[in-house]
Amino acid sequence: MTVTEERPAAEVGHARRRKEDARLITGRTMWTDNITLPGMLHLAILRSPMAHARIATIDVGPARELPGVIAAFSGRDLAEDMASLPCAWPVTEDMVHPDHLPLAVDEVRHTGEAVAVVAARDRASALDGLEAIEVDYDELPVVLDMEAALADGADLVHADKGTNKSFTWVFDSAEAGSGGNVADALDGAEVKLSRRYVQQRLIPAYMEPRSVVVDPTGDVFTVWSATQIPHILRLMIAMTTGTPEHKVRVVAPDVGGGFGGKLQVTPEELIAFHVARRIGKPVKHTETRSESMQATHHGRDQIQFIDLTARRDGTVTGLNVRLLANMGAYLGLVTPGVPILGAFMYNAIYKIPAYRFECTGVFTNTAWTDAYRGAGRPEATYAIERIVDELAAELGLDPMEVRRKNWINHDEFPFTTVAGLTYDSGNYEAATDKATQLFGYDELRREQAARRESGDLVQLGIGISTYTEMCGLAPSRVLGALRYGAGGWESATVRVLPTGKVEVVTGTSPHGQGHETAWSQIVADQLGVPFEDVEVLHGDTRTSVRGLDTYGSRSLAVGGTALVKACQKVIKNAKRIAAHMLEASEDDLEFADGTWRVRGTPDAGKTIAECALAVFTSHDLPDGIEPNLDADATHDPENFSFPHGTHLCAAEVDTETGWVNIRKYAAVDDVGRVINPLIVEGQVHGGIAQGVAQALFEEAVYDESGNLMTGTFVDYTVPSAADLPAFDTDRTETPATGHPLGAKGVGEAGTIASTPAVVNAVVDALRPLGVNDVRMPCTPERVWQAIQEARR
Amino acid sequence: MDFLRPATLTDALAAKAEHPDAVPVAGGTDVLVELNFDRRRPPALLDLTGVAELAEWAPDGDVLRIGAGVPYSRIIGELGSRLPGLALASRTVGSPQIRNRGTVGGNLGSASPAGDAHPPLLASDAVVEVASIRGARQIPITEFFTGVKRNALAPDELITAFRVAPADGPQQFAKVGTRNAMVIAVCSFAIALHPSRCAVGTGVGSAAPTPRRAPAAEEFLAGELPWGSRRRLSDAVTRRFGELVASAAAPIDDVRGTADYRRHALSVMARRTLTWVWQEHCEGGWPACA
Repeated sequence: MTVTEERPAAEVGHARRRKEDARLITGRTMWTDNITLPGMLHLAILRSPMAHARIATIDVGPARELPGVIAAFSGRDLAEDMASLPCAWPVTEDMVHPDHLPLAVDEVRHTGEAVAVVAARDRASALDGLEAIEVDYDELPVVLDMEAALADGADLVHADKGTNKSFTWVFDSAEAGSGGNVADALDGAEVKLSRRYVQQRLIPAYMEPRSVVVDPTGDVFTVWSATQIPHILRLMIAMTTGTPEHKVRVVAPDVGGGFGGKLQVTPEELIAFHVARRIGKPVKHTETRSESMQATHHGRDQIQFIDLTARRDGTVTGLNVRLLANMGAYLGLVTPGVPILGAFMYNAIYKIPAYRFECTGVFTNTAWTDAYRGAGRPEATYAIERIVDELAAELGLDPMEVRRKNWINHDEFPFTTVAGLTYDSGNYEAATDKATQLFGYDELRREQAARRESGDLVQLGIGISTYTEMCGLAPSRVLGALRYGAGGWESATVRVLPTGKVEVVTGTSPHGQGHETAWSQIVADQLGVPFEDVEVLHGDTRTSVRGLDTYGSRSLAVGGTALVKACQKVIKNAKRIAAHMLEASEDDLEFADGTWRVRGTPDAGKTIAECALAVFTSHDLPDGIEPNLDADATHDPENFSFPHGTHLCAAEVDTETGWVNIRKYAAVDDVGRVINPLIVEGQVHGGIAQGVAQALFEEAVYDESGNLMTGTFVDYTVPSAADLPAFDTDRTETPATGHPLGAKGVGEAGTIASTPAVVNAVVDALRPLGVNDVRMPCTPERVWQAIQEARR
Repeated sequence: MDFLRPATLTDALAAKAEHPDAVPVAGGTDVLVELNFDRRRPPALLDLTGVAELAEWAPDGDVLRIGAGVPYSRIIGELGSRLPGLALASRTVGSPQIRNRGTVGGNLGSASPAGDAHPPLLASDAVVEVASIRGARQIPITEFFTGVKRNALAPDELITAFRVAPADGPQQFAKVGTRNAMVIAVCSFAIALHPSRCAVGTGVGSAAPTPRRAPAAEEFLAGELPWGSRRRLSDAVTRRFGELVASAAAPIDDVRGTADYRRHALSVMARRTLTWVWQEHCEGGWPACA
């Protein structure tokens, strides 16, 4: 199918401003916290100040006595109602999977874990209620460090499990038949590099804190939640509360960002559900920012041991990765799967003959981790792009030359990698050539040489990241093979209304991405209707009955393809009706600009709108045709899509203070066919900003007692515009081959690409001083320490 | 919690005398954060934003008398040429919104070791004017900070103004933080040259329990600077000055930085700001002693 190529693509490719932005930017829309129902109560949640303790006694009685308080529950009060929150990705058969109750009953395992809930007539009374609750904790030993947690005799996060290890998952190219044996590569290596990289813990700082409203008063439970996953949430509420699925309706109204942080079935959602069911009144819980920092799932937090072997000419011969992944205290919806996704990305764009990956999931007394923008792929990309730079330094080669020597050439696609994926398309040469020109690579290298020569206190470094990633999650059978609990398909419905206006229902769940605009552009081109005549509905399981929601840069590649398929069905049905009205044979009709015409008689034609009206009246339809112009389609992708690109960063590093200034940043991304360049640009900018944030600014830090030291935006330093350079961006366009849109996905590319580009630049600046690594985030102090250590 | 909102200074002082536990609020950029995080629950708040005379400034003889309620954005806009060091520091405070609300008087009231206004006030020998129903008094800035987030105010006193001479020589301010904007200083440093009296002022922030001067560094530099000749400084002088500034600090390790880094960064900032102010001095404009 190459539908979009058969007609002038009037809308697709047009940099339209987003139709949803007026309401999102002004805030005049339905955020969950704006919902107020008659008789609705406000919830406040008491959270553990201890990282690990037994709850000796807990008394919510005094809270119940307070004016305005209607109910208060401890975990023990709701113990019979509650089931464990779900983990949908048991990556191994023997994975240790501890229960995670929405409210802790006997034991708390991280600071911020919910222990009690108060329902009151107003928020202030609910908060006052929390103060009246008396809890006695018996402290237990705190486990924070992953390596210490795995040592013999370590204190345990879950004493009954007898171990802090959740699982060990292995991929070996020799066993999989996709490559050679890494042990052989390590043995005979001309060059072997071994590095330990630390992916610091990050907090998904979405703009809208999480919020949930549960209304138990109708025939069904209605749950509004600031979630990325209304469909999955509905299923999981049904499965964990015993409420029949058809009696649960979930609505994700407008949602203010997620970054993976709202790809979760949260304790707060289930607490609200259980309280509402117990007391029979609507309830709302909206977290504060401080609560969010403590209690939302965190991201990254991995220790990466990586060995790279090569010949002296720079040809890579083997890659061995051993990973420790911090699960936190519990497993979330896809916690164990996040590092496993990375397993397919360490080999990146390179032809590597032998590869082994081993990941161990570790429990600690910290907030649970789970998906965060990129989810496994940024970590993998960081490690490989960092160590390829190290290889170049070791061999005295230009890091770009080492990459060219090893990457998959554009004429070698489709290419099956050592990790077993088949990359359908790509052109690393083209993206890199464009990026180096945009960046002024040679000129900056000359300036770098001059600064090195003169011993300038401010050194210049150039960082390269030639990344790829896997998007369009996901082929269902691949997910099945990886033991994920669901499929990866997506669905769409197109309804042509009697006036020719079009309603589209998507199973994706946008939370800032601009689906309403992009989907409208696709439909406008497909059906030949004006962009403005398309309305996109999403997020309500009553209107969007089937869907798998939004994450993993999947929505356009998978949901957009379902949409194209649905449009094709509409066109096919309209053809019969048009032929009937035109008194022509279907074989003589052609479709262009939304109109069926008889070949050779361009004046006579019937539009989709005319067909829709004919269907509505049904006065004169061909025999045997159902009177509607609606169509459903579900698409299950055959393969992932593989965006790629070349990001180049020039960083000035003050060798006295350690201050890093990004002087220039150039990004050329190949995200396939672009539906809306403005949206792509926005995703690239935001993505790079988030990746730079990991490289230079953000880190969640616990003290030795397990208290979060970076619980506010003063200490968890999300960068502002003042901290970021202007981005020079461009694109190459190598369409994805697996579906008619040719789009690959862009939601995470910038984040995946930019972190190693920036750190490579920082390290490159300092290499003459003997520095070969700076631990992220590369704050002035960390940079200074790295220089000090190299001098010793 | 009582909320007191006097309209005049007389009423404000009376209210403070009557409610010595009341916490004064100017811009609220410190106090309201503390309340939101439930770090303190004062019995009363004393809102001073209705007291017009606190938001005024005027020359008073040789000095400028600047009301405690003048926000940073006005100091930058209206006093930037006369108080360049304080204006530089004010530009690094928070965000535009915070600079519109936050005041130097509030910064002094909080007395945080990380207060951005403190180092330039120290470097310029500012005097803090405080008042109560018992009368007014003037406290030299070097005697104002008494401990971590503690100052020399009596319970019934309010900060009414600070007095500082317009710059009589080049001034600079430098700050290291973990990002460019909206950041609490890891450490900061201010320097003021007083060529007319061959003197040097300094102020060190975020590197001791209180903001403080570096007297040994000042004395060393005042003696070493070739005030009249305006020639380039030797590296030995700048380096020694940096060392003396660093040794005046008594920093701690915390989530924002280690003591070692703070000392090191102070010495670098001291050297650099010295180089800048001396360059400006050499380029002329300021009358010099001797």
